Amino acid sequence: MQKQELKQGIHDSIPIILGYLPLGLAFGVLANEIGMSIVQATLMSFLCFTGAGQYIAIGIMQAGGAVFTIITANFLVNLRYLLFSASMVPYLKGRVPTALGSLLSYGLTDETYAVAMSRYQKYPPTASYMAGLNLSSHMGWVLSTLLGALLGSYLGNTERLGLGFALPAMYICLLVFMIKRKSDVFVALSAAVLCLTIGCLAPATMGNLFNVIIATVVAASLGMLFND
Amino acid sequence: MTESYIWFMIIGVSIVSILPRILPVALFTRFEFPEPLKRWLSFIAPAVLGSLTALSVLAPDGFIYPSIHNRYIWAFIPTLLTAIKTRSLFYSLLVGIVTMALLYNFF
Repeated sequence: MQKQELKQGIHDSIPIILGYLPLGLAFGVLANEIGMSIVQATLMSFLCFTGAGQYIAIGIMQAGGAVFTIITANFLVNLRYLLFSASMVPYLKGRVPTALGSLLSYGLTDETYAVAMSRYQKYPPTASYMAGLNLSSHMGWVLSTLLGALLGSYLGNTERLGLGFALPAMYICLLVFMIKRKSDVFVALSAAVLCLTIGCLAPATMGNLFNVIIATVVAASLGMLFND
Repeated sequence: MTESYIWFMIIGVSIVSILPRILPVALFTRFEFPEPLKRWLSFIAPAVLGSLTALSVLAPDGFIYPSIHNRYIWAFIPTLLTAIKTRSLFYSLLVGIVTMALLYNFF
């Protein structure tokens, strides 16, 4: 265990937790309203740790959908993690033991992925950093859900505090960090355009985030055409 | 909604959300990826962030909303400039959140 790395990971998770706070609170409130107990809502955040997926579950439950529908939708939404996890492999190889790396990948989300990848551009990954970043982000998600389920509708509107922009602001900043080659700019812009176009043509993909998966695969492939 | 429905749902969702994160790391770390695949994978992060940025700013509520009334577009501009200028996640987040709070309360 490297203390400094662990600390750095925890430090880097602070903006993520800030972004999760309003989302986790809202999930707790919604889950409670739909008939899940405080224990169930909190445990769901602990076991699943998938913001988009959990919101989809609530939506389908509200509409009276089947469990199978919820699981299928979540399967689709979480397919993007296959790409994330695979793209981390070249970094983790030889630096983080496989078993530990796999276990810590439980905490892989859009946000922890983006923060970790931007860190690994400069520093080699360590299990301690991964633990600090992923576990504290996970904890933040679970605790904000618990808080939401406990406080229920006593919470006012967190939009007022501007926290709704925490995650977009993080994506914007990490995007800036990730861009190092001309091809990266091209790939990011193509992905953005593709993702919105697919979302327009097939609105269902906006809900299951399939537009993100298709746009990512196509844009990354287009990047191969570049020579830099 | 029955208790068993909820528990079954929670367990099912947890399986399909954990496996895609863990399996690639668990299975592939022992192999050396060929160079072209490594290059392709190196584009995944910029592509994902490009998509997520576009969606979170232009479709903050789940539908595409390219309008001057979309506060997220206005907050995007100072946040992007701060990110480029300071290269600090902290300042970018601060500027983004404060801009959003101001827009929400005063516009």
